[in-house]
Amino acid sequence: MSLFELPILPTLGAAAAGGCASGGCASGGCGTGGCGTPSAERTSENSRREFLKTATTLTLGAMSLTLLPGVTAGDDMLPLPPPGGEGHVPAAKPMYGFLIDTTKCIGAGKCLTACRVENSVPDGQSRTWVERYVHYKDGRVEVDLVPETGYAGSGEVQPAAEDVLQAYFVPKLCNQCVDAPCNQVCPVHASIKSPEGIELVDTERCIGCGYCVQACPYGIRFMNHDTGVADKCNWCYHRVMRNEQPACVEACPTGARVFGRIDDPDSEISKRLATVPTNVLKQHLGTLPLTRYVGLTDEVT
Amino acid sequence: MEFHALHDAPFIFPNDAHPAWSIMIVLYPYITGMVAGAFVVSTMYHVFHREALRPVAHLAVVTSLCLGACATLPLLLHLHQPLRAFNVVATPSPTSAMAGFGFIYSFYMLVLLVDVWLIFRPAIVERAATATGAWRGVYRALALGVVEITPRAAEIDRRLVYALSVIGIPAACVLHGYVGFLFGAIKANPWWSTSMMPVIFLTSAIVSGIAVLTLLYLFLCQRSDIEPDAECVRSLSRLLWMFLLLAVVFEAIDILHVAYEREEEWHVIRALLSTKLRFSYLTLQVVIGSILPLLLLPLPAFSGRLGAGFRHSIAGVCAVLVLVQVAAMRWNVVVGGQLFSKSFRGFVEYPVDWFGREGLLAAAVVLAMPMVLLWGAMQILPVWPPSPESESGAKS
Amino acid sequence: MTSFNDTRHLWALGACLAAVGLVGMVVRREMVPDDFGTKGPYRASALDDIAAQPSLFQADATCHACHASVEHERAGKSHETVSCAHCHGLAVDHVAMARRGAEDPTVTLPPAAEWDGDFLTKADLYISKDRATCLSCHEAVVGMPADFKKIDVALHLEEQGASEPLSRETCFECHGGHDTAP
Repeated sequence: MSLFELPILPTLGAAAAGGCASGGCASGGCGTGGCGTPSAERTSENSRREFLKTATTLTLGAMSLTLLPGVTAGDDMLPLPPPGGEGHVPAAKPMYGFLIDTTKCIGAGKCLTACRVENSVPDGQSRTWVERYVHYKDGRVEVDLVPETGYAGSGEVQPAAEDVLQAYFVPKLCNQCVDAPCNQVCPVHASIKSPEGIELVDTERCIGCGYCVQACPYGIRFMNHDTGVADKCNWCYHRVMRNEQPACVEACPTGARVFGRIDDPDSEISKRLATVPTNVLKQHLGTLPLTRYVGLTDEVT
Repeated sequence: MEFHALHDAPFIFPNDAHPAWSIMIVLYPYITGMVAGAFVVSTMYHVFHREALRPVAHLAVVTSLCLGACATLPLLLHLHQPLRAFNVVATPSPTSAMAGFGFIYSFYMLVLLVDVWLIFRPAIVERAATATGAWRGVYRALALGVVEITPRAAEIDRRLVYALSVIGIPAACVLHGYVGFLFGAIKANPWWSTSMMPVIFLTSAIVSGIAVLTLLYLFLCQRSDIEPDAECVRSLSRLLWMFLLLAVVFEAIDILHVAYEREEEWHVIRALLSTKLRFSYLTLQVVIGSILPLLLLPLPAFSGRLGAGFRHSIAGVCAVLVLVQVAAMRWNVVVGGQLFSKSFRGFVEYPVDWFGREGLLAAAVVLAMPMVLLWGAMQILPVWPPSPESESGAKS
Repeated sequence: MTSFNDTRHLWALGACLAAVGLVGMVVRREMVPDDFGTKGPYRASALDDIAAQPSLFQADATCHACHASVEHERAGKSHETVSCAHCHGLAVDHVAMARRGAEDPTVTLPPAAEWDGDFLTKADLYISKDRATCLSCHEAVVGMPADFKKIDVALHLEEQGASEPLSRETCFECHGGHDTAP
């Protein structure tokens, strides 16, 4: 059973994630392994973590501490739901997940405007964006950015459909990495991993050094031109805390963006994760993203 | 990722269009490197007893202090919230490489400050007795009110200077190795992410420190109409040649390794080196800054036949070339790492302004500041010209 | 032997450094927020500060609370997942006033404005039956999923035998609004 508790699980890729994403094989493993007491497991896990944290804090010098980031942040929480099964009760501390279904995105850009308005994101910077990948029959792959109001009326010249082998849209947003490099490098604790696992920026503590912007492998973070501090997608934390959906999810007309509790086996996202193979972005970097994708190709960086 | 995509169908992530780090972040490791390098030169005399370096030993440690005093300037100019700068020491994050700066820098500056104070205490005490008017007060304050030196106190100070110099060597290594780690530990960026980075930064730091001292020494000799000490210039040139060789070898190993393995990141780096960094890397850093001085430096370093004037001119020229090399290296790392998008599918324009907080003029002022401080230090302390008595006074 | 006179300068130095260190520690104490570290390695109240940000984008449930008939009209139809805000704006003011109106009958809601071409950016309420609203999703674009209804306007109108000039509400006339037929 401990195998399924390891945070390494989401890095196993499409097959593993698709096969045992949320309920399926995890609860199957539970049945035989007898993991009816996940809380006990968690407690010991927590105390070990606390011990490690204390130990690292006691170690003198920041240089040596930087060698142990995986220990302090890595096993903080499971990116996938804990074993569910009969009579499963969602944990007191909710765990959220985000699923992007690239096979449903139509590139209308509604999510982009919704996010910009909801979070007062300055022009020229983005908390979320949508990429379009066009594979041509001659082997070329071209990528462009979906205009904020969609292609309709944008005057952009479209690729000739007869030259195109395959094309799809890939929405990007914060991956809420379990082992977040942006959080790791922040010198002043202005990067916050909320108890729910959502990465936030403390705009009152941020010194505007830009190190987190450099450290995010996904280009999600930016120095907000208006506020002079780091800014990023936070899955609309303020909405989530009110039990509302993030603005982009609310705005998506096709259900390409699915947000919800992954610790609740009855949530839509849990059901989808249990039935569809999913992947994460830049999996080789070991950041353990909570944002998972359906239909990701090798071309997507 | 296709190589041609970088040119034929570029795509950059929207937030990558505005690089987060300006030329101030180029200056920061440049100045910090000279701090560490200049100190290493002083320890060559104080700890490793290279007698030939006596004329520059005190100049080195004061130069290091003056550079160090300005090392935070580019950072403050860069921070978007400079008034919150002290958050770095108020609530430092143990997992952040950057948070270490406050402590490492403070410790190093403390060592340097006490070192300089002890070295120059005899001079301060002497002036406190002979100076008149306001200066008398200044020197008394600099002496912290203790205006006598017993023979036993002088002996204690000599030992302390030795001890501080010894402590200063690892401190200087940590200070600059850490700056390299700051870049080398960013896995998001293939141009930065290499375990060689701290080593490369450290060796090039020592190189820049030796170069800046060679230049300062030759310049000050010329200004004061003193004949440069031939053995001193020779010794500096030898050190410069050796450490430059090390720096270039480490840099070459790093790039050759990536180039030979030809993993994903090489496609980005190759494109970078063949376009955006072609001049600053291949021309400036490799040819003009590395190969040329490596070929020229043996003349002042090892030749016994050439005239002193010629050898010293070559040493000066090489010092300039090496300073160009290190500046180019800092530029290529800091700016080069921001010239491509993390989509690995397109290049980013890097804006350099003349004016503003992070403009070229501000950068020029930042670079001039340590020299202004050094001039000031030379007015109140006998840093220059080197006098044989005071030099031997602080030697263990 | 070493006397105090020999180390007096070092004691003076030590005192100076201790004073600087003490001032530094006091300043540092002042700079650390009171609630720092109480929940985790961060300023705890930052969570509340961030959570206090107002929600602008109205969930459909907010609209349906008053407009129950619309919910029924849309139920099970192809556009059920399309947010009200697409065709009606964010309606922030509208919702706020409606909530006040529930308690104070003198508050009356202003009429909906005419749509002026912007999607999702208006804080007030509008009603758009403009075909641009429909085409903002349905105009055929390379990359759309195969099973998504893509419209090549010229071709579609030709098939339907429509003639120029088209009215703004061309789509709406055939396909309707809340109960959009395929």
